[in-house]
Amino acid sequence: MFGYLKRWWLKTIQVRKSWTHHTYIALDIETSGLNPNTDQLLAVAWVEIKPPVIDYKTGRYYLIKHDQTDLKQSPVVHGLVSKDFLETTEPRAMLEQLAEILRGKVLVCHHIQLDWSFLKHAARQHGIKLEPLALFDTLAFEAKRLKRQQHHIERGSLTLAACRARYGLPEYNAHHAFSDAVGCGELMLAQGYKFAGSSKSRLW
Amino acid sequence: MQPEFTDVQRFLLDCPPFDELNSEQRQWVAQQIKAAYVNEHNVDALFKQHSPALYIVRSGGFDLLAPDQHVIERLESHDLFGYPSLLSGRPVVNKLKVIEDGIIYIVSAGAFDKLRQNSRAFEQYFIRAHGQRLLGEVSRPYSAGSTTANGDTQRSADSARTAVLDKTPGFDALELTIGEVVSRKPVTLPMSATIREAAQLMRDHKVSSVMILGAVPVPNPEEGASGAVPVPNPEEGAEPGLHPTSPSQKLFGILTDRDLRNRVIAAGLSYDIQVNAAMTQAPATVYGRQTLMDALTLMTQHNIHHLPVIDDNDQPIGMITNTDLMRQQRSEPVMLISAINKVETREQLIEEAKQIPAYMQTFAARVHDTTMVGRLLASLTDSMTRQLIRLYEQEHGVAPGTYCWIAFGSQGREDQVLSSDQDNGLLLGNGLNEQQLEWFKGLGEFVCSGLNECGIPLCPGDIMASNADCRRTLDGWLERFQTWTESPTPKALMYCQIFFDSRMVHGNKRLYQRYREEVAKLGKKDFFLGNLARLQVSVQVPLGLFNRFRGTESGKDSDLINIKRYGIALINDIVRIYSLQAGLTVPQTLQRLEQLRGSNLLNRKDNQSLAEAWQFLTQLRLQHQLDIWGTDKPKNALDPDELSTLTRRQLKTAFRIIKECQQGVGLKFGRVG
Repeated sequence: MFGYLKRWWLKTIQVRKSWTHHTYIALDIETSGLNPNTDQLLAVAWVEIKPPVIDYKTGRYYLIKHDQTDLKQSPVVHGLVSKDFLETTEPRAMLEQLAEILRGKVLVCHHIQLDWSFLKHAARQHGIKLEPLALFDTLAFEAKRLKRQQHHIERGSLTLAACRARYGLPEYNAHHAFSDAVGCGELMLAQGYKFAGSSKSRLW
Repeated sequence: MQPEFTDVQRFLLDCPPFDELNSEQRQWVAQQIKAAYVNEHNVDALFKQHSPALYIVRSGGFDLLAPDQHVIERLESHDLFGYPSLLSGRPVVNKLKVIEDGIIYIVSAGAFDKLRQNSRAFEQYFIRAHGQRLLGEVSRPYSAGSTTANGDTQRSADSARTAVLDKTPGFDALELTIGEVVSRKPVTLPMSATIREAAQLMRDHKVSSVMILGAVPVPNPEEGASGAVPVPNPEEGAEPGLHPTSPSQKLFGILTDRDLRNRVIAAGLSYDIQVNAAMTQAPATVYGRQTLMDALTLMTQHNIHHLPVIDDNDQPIGMITNTDLMRQQRSEPVMLISAINKVETREQLIEEAKQIPAYMQTFAARVHDTTMVGRLLASLTDSMTRQLIRLYEQEHGVAPGTYCWIAFGSQGREDQVLSSDQDNGLLLGNGLNEQQLEWFKGLGEFVCSGLNECGIPLCPGDIMASNADCRRTLDGWLERFQTWTESPTPKALMYCQIFFDSRMVHGNKRLYQRYREEVAKLGKKDFFLGNLARLQVSVQVPLGLFNRFRGTESGKDSDLINIKRYGIALINDIVRIYSLQAGLTVPQTLQRLEQLRGSNLLNRKDNQSLAEAWQFLTQLRLQHQLDIWGTDKPKNALDPDELSTLTRRQLKTAFRIIKECQQGVGLKFGRVG
């Protein structure tokens, strides 16, 4: 109980720091569907960000090992085919690394609900706890921002590519988990620097 | 497991010199990159923290500021900066100002050094870029497979374009050096030999010409200062035959089959007198290091078939003949010139000339040194001009007096392209009567209309021998030049830029020489040079604010840049003004630069930069013209956005060189008057 309180207290203090003083993990996953209970986690990619720098050396990309790999609709989206799964990682090994790297950092995803639910589901299965300091959703941020500016949100205007284009960020060859993780990280930085103003403000 | 960074790698492939790295090195450097989101709040802290480093702009826009706050350059996607400090070890003094937020890749000093150690091409690029020597870089096509199927269209257009621009360096036999082709040792005789001995030696060696050597006195160090005039002694000449010549031997003349026929047999000369009575003295020669193209040009210009070849110490090393040139495989130009030289009628000439554009296409696509294209076109035009003159003389009798046919402008400079129009004139001897003048009027009209039918368009400004104004005596021409140089209206100055670049195509050498020397004297006047300089400085290079490209055309082509008018011509102008000041009489821009080497007015670095920029722009224009061949697109204007990253950087460098040299001209010449 005391441990929990202490963690909560530290977390509260931490969160109050300026957003540029945190470390972020921008992450993207590829799955065989949208339901974490029935569909599989196929790949996970992430990169570490210390604003304003994304260090590519910290970039990771894991194809997850499964007993039988059922790709369902996914190949259409991600371009992954069975032969890509020759060099795979045990989910447990990946999750342990992720748990380690997430500690005390902010997890950033584009449409974080999906990623987070898949990750939590997988972690629970292996009895691993993922404890990021906070979650940040670049999509939710953008939706809120557009709504606040009374924009009508058009269909397709909240995809990662569409959001990036609004900030003048370069076009990437989308739908590779690592490209998307980097792309999401850059979007987070752009949102932060554009709308959290100077480095003293808070982003969330 | 580390990801493959496909997007970063594709970007680096389009970002020279990273395209020089192998894929393993490129993969490695992608992992070393730190990507920073840069805006006005974090820019200073960021650079303080990471410098020195190599920075690559991925997106956004930034101004590089000198310590005095002036903008050195506007940096955009694919631009590199920060390397001068990395190379020189000097502290970073320039600052970055954010125009538009964006992403900048940081490559640490350590990673940069490692790449330099592992890739010579990578290192060379930065050393050249640092010394502003980028123009010598040859860009390369994207490696196959680097573009994915869904890569955007701009990229594939780019790579297609790059592939055209950077086709594997071509080769034409005319690019061989003469030394590579001359295999036979020189056949020589001393001046004391008789004509009969010469004929026997030519028979024994089965050659059609022999070189005549004389002894050059070796200065005696003890008598060096005594002022004694050494007398050449022909008796000391080499023994006849194939002896290697001793260093004191020098070429005095050449004796050919034709000389034996015309000057000996036909003239009834005794065979026992010395060869120097029949030889051609001080013949035109070429150096072994020159190319076959040089030999071809010289032979065409002087209408000769034998050229003695000498080494850098002026020692004869062999003879090159027009047959040697003909023997070179794959060289249609030689065939074309000889076909032109063989025509008997105007109709045949026009027929042969029709093949020139197609020949030039394949020739231009093949040669490595693109300045050869302009020279070859000039040679072809010269040959056609001479044939037309010959045909006119057949019809109307020989010329009633001495004269010279002169080529001006691009034909004079030998930087002609297929669309260049005629610029020519006639220099006439004094004292011609009405009827004789009529003969020259007919010549001018016949040749100019003939050239037009051969595909060299008439000059819209009427600078042609068919115009009475361009048929003048020596005094008549000098009067013209005097008016231009003394009351320099803009139009007069424009004429000067054409008329001061001249070359004789046909006629009396001595008359031309006198003309050229007198013209050179008029061109040296400070008042005139001052006016010329001010005119030149007023033409701005197509670099706008912050060193960005600025379109030079109007209407729908307003984004295009005319690299002839705002590039090549500006360099010609700059070089011309230094040449006028130095009193040079050669018309070719590169040869002028070569002769200006050592000038204390134009320093060595600027001289080299101008030559490189001129060659780069000439190459770029040629490639552009090959690309648009058969379309109605502008021949000299191109879209900078369609160029590869390296070519764009090089074009900027070329314009920057021109701009700096223009300022130099303004400072050195523009203040007078």
